[in-house]
Amino acid sequence: MEKKDIIQSFKDSLFTGLIALALFGPIVGLRTASKGEGLFITPQWGVVFLLVGLCILGRFLINLNSARKTEITFISKFTSKFSAITEDKAKHFAITAILFAVVFPFLPFTDRYFMDVAIMILTYIMLGWGLNIVVGLAGLLDLGYVAFYAVGAYSYALIATTFGWSFWICLPLAGVFAAFFGILLGFPVLRLRGDYLAIVTLGFGEIIRIILINWYEVTNGPDGITGIPRPSFFGLPFKRSPDEGETSFHLFFNLEYSTMHRIIFLYYLILVLALITNYFTLKIRKLPVGRAWEALREDEIACKSLGVNPTNTKLTAFAIGAMFGGFAGSFFATRQAFISPESFTFIESAIIVAIVVLGGMGSQTGVVLASIFLIGITEMFRDLEQYRMIAFGGAMVLIMVFKPKGILANRKPTILMHGEKK
Amino acid sequence: MSNLLSVENLTMKFGGLTAIDDLSFDAKNNQITSIIGPNGAGKTTVFNCLTGFYKPTNGQMFLHKEDSKISLRKYTDFKIAYVAKVARTFQNIRLFPAMSVLENLLVAQHNELMVASGYSLFGLLNLKTYRDKEQLAVDKAKYWLDIIGLTHRADDNAGDLPYGDQRKLEIVRAMCIKPRLLCLDEPAAGLNPKESAELNKLLKFIKTEKQTGILLIEHDMSVVMGISDHVVVLNYGKKIFEGTADQTKNSKEVIEAYLGVDE
Repeated sequence: MEKKDIIQSFKDSLFTGLIALALFGPIVGLRTASKGEGLFITPQWGVVFLLVGLCILGRFLINLNSARKTEITFISKFTSKFSAITEDKAKHFAITAILFAVVFPFLPFTDRYFMDVAIMILTYIMLGWGLNIVVGLAGLLDLGYVAFYAVGAYSYALIATTFGWSFWICLPLAGVFAAFFGILLGFPVLRLRGDYLAIVTLGFGEIIRIILINWYEVTNGPDGITGIPRPSFFGLPFKRSPDEGETSFHLFFNLEYSTMHRIIFLYYLILVLALITNYFTLKIRKLPVGRAWEALREDEIACKSLGVNPTNTKLTAFAIGAMFGGFAGSFFATRQAFISPESFTFIESAIIVAIVVLGGMGSQTGVVLASIFLIGITEMFRDLEQYRMIAFGGAMVLIMVFKPKGILANRKPTILMHGEKK
Repeated sequence: MSNLLSVENLTMKFGGLTAIDDLSFDAKNNQITSIIGPNGAGKTTVFNCLTGFYKPTNGQMFLHKEDSKISLRKYTDFKIAYVAKVARTFQNIRLFPAMSVLENLLVAQHNELMVASGYSLFGLLNLKTYRDKEQLAVDKAKYWLDIIGLTHRADDNAGDLPYGDQRKLEIVRAMCIKPRLLCLDEPAAGLNPKESAELNKLLKFIKTEKQTGILLIEHDMSVVMGISDHVVVLNYGKKIFEGTADQTKNSKEVIEAYLGVDE
C-alpha cells in the first residue's frame, strides 16, 4: 500500500471520528442526573472519547482492509471459507447442526441459562424462517411480521384460557388465525411494492398491537393475559404434585422432579416446530408455487405475461409466512405463561427482518447463523445492561462490512437438469 | 389460412394524446405479421392493449378459435396469458435474472404445474403423479432449449447469459405457455447480424412448426423484410399502409413516413 493511501484512509477515519463525536457528544457525553431539586448535567467525556476512538480505529481498519486485499483480510477469508463449506457440504453441515441441537440439552456445560438462550435463539430462527418465505422468497418486505406472532400468541392464550383446550389443538388453530390475518393484510397491499409495502406492513404491526392494548374486554389490555396453560407431554403435565387422578411426567417416568424437564421439553418443542418450518419451506420452494414466489420477486410484470396469478401467489406467501409466525407465537405464549402487548413491539419485527436480511435473503442456513450471531452476541453482553443493544448494532455493522449481501447469499436452483456439478 | 386475430377500430387515448387512432388489421395463423413505424408511432401501445396491460378507449380485439371468437377486451392482466393464451416478450428483456434458465421455463408452465401439484398438496406429499408431470415440464423445457442451443446452460442463472441468448430465452419462455398468439416487442434490438440470423431461424421454426401466429414489432428491417408475411405500417397512431414485405418496401407513403416528404 502506498503512503498516500494510508494518509487518505487516516483522514477519512478522522472524519468518521468527527461524526462520531457529534453523535456521542450530546447522547452519551451529557448525562442528566437529578440531585435534590432539579436536574444537573454530569459530563462523561471519558466514555465519549473511548467510543470515538473505537470508531476511528474501526474505520481505519476497514479502510486498510479494502485498500489492501492481503493485509487484514483474515475475516473475509474466514467468512468466505465458511460459506464455501456450508454450501459445498450443505447436507453434512445441516445434519451436524441438527445433531448438535438434539444433544445440546444433555451436554455437560448446559445449564438453565444456556437452555433459555437456546430456546430464544430457536424461536428467532423459526420466525426468521417464516419471514424468509415472505421477504426472502416472495420479495415482499414485511416490517410488521410481529403482528402474526402476536395473533398466534393471543389466539393460543385466549382459546386455552377460555375453553381449556390442550396445546396441541390450539397450536394449529393459532396458525389458522395468523394465516387469516396474513390474508387480511395481504389484500390491501397487493398493489404496493417496495417502500410503500414496507410502510403499510409496519402500520399493520402497530395496529394489531394497539388493538391488543385497547380492546380491554377481550385481551385484558396492557395487563396482558396470565395463567396460560403449559403444554403437557402427551397428556402428562410437568407438575411437582399433579391434581387428583393425573399422573405427572416425573412420576410416570420415575424421575426426580426437576424444573429442567419442562425446559428441555419446551426446547425440543421449538426445535421440532422450527425444523418443520424449515422442511416445509425447503419443500415448497421446489414446487410451482415456490418458484412463482421467486419469479414474483424477480419481475412481477413478466409473471403476469406468463399467466401467473400475482394475487393468489402473494396471498399464499403472506398466509404461509403468517401461519409459521402464529405457531411461533403460540409457543411463546405457552412458554411464558404470560403475554402482554409489550412483547410485540416494532423492535421485534426489526430484529426478525435483520436476521433474514443479514443471513442472506432466502437462505435457510443464513437465518440460523444470523440468529445465533445476533441474539447470541446480544445475550453475551447482557451484563452491560442498556449498552447491550450496542453489541446488537455492532454485530449488524460487522455483517454489513464483511458480508454486504448477507452471510450466505448464494442461491441454489430449485431443480437441476444436469445434476450437481462436480 | 385462417384468421387468428382481428383488431377492429382500436383507439387508445392518454388524456389529450391519441396514441392509437382507429386501427384495424388482421393477423393469420402460422404467419408473421409485423408492425413497423417510426419511433412513437404507437406500436408498443398496440401490444399493451392486446396483452391486457392497457384497456383501450375504443374498439375491439378478437382472437379466433376454430369456430368461436373471444374478445380480448374481456381479459386483463395475467388472464390474457392464462385464458386467452396470448404471450408476449418485452422491449427491455424481462427474464427472472436470479433464477436458472430451466426455472424460467418452468415458471412459464406454472398453471399446468399448479394443477398437477394439486395446488401444492400432491407436491408436498411427493406423489408420483406430480413428479411425472414435473418431468414432462422439464422435458418440454429441454425441447425448447435444444432448439435455441442453450441446453448446456440450463442450470445457470438467466441473468448470466449473453444478451442474444437472453432474447432467445425470453421467446421460448413465452412459447412454453403454448400461446396461440405470440407478440414480440423488438426481439432483434441489440443483436449482432449473426444473432439476428439465428433469431430469424427461430421465428420461422415457430411459425411453421407450431400452431401459433406471430405479431412482431421491429426496427431492424433485415428481420422484418426477411421473415414477415404481412406488414402493417403505423405513423402517429394511424395505419398508413398494409401489405406484403415487398409491397411495403416500395410504398411511397411508407418511405415518406420514414424519410420525410420531398420539398
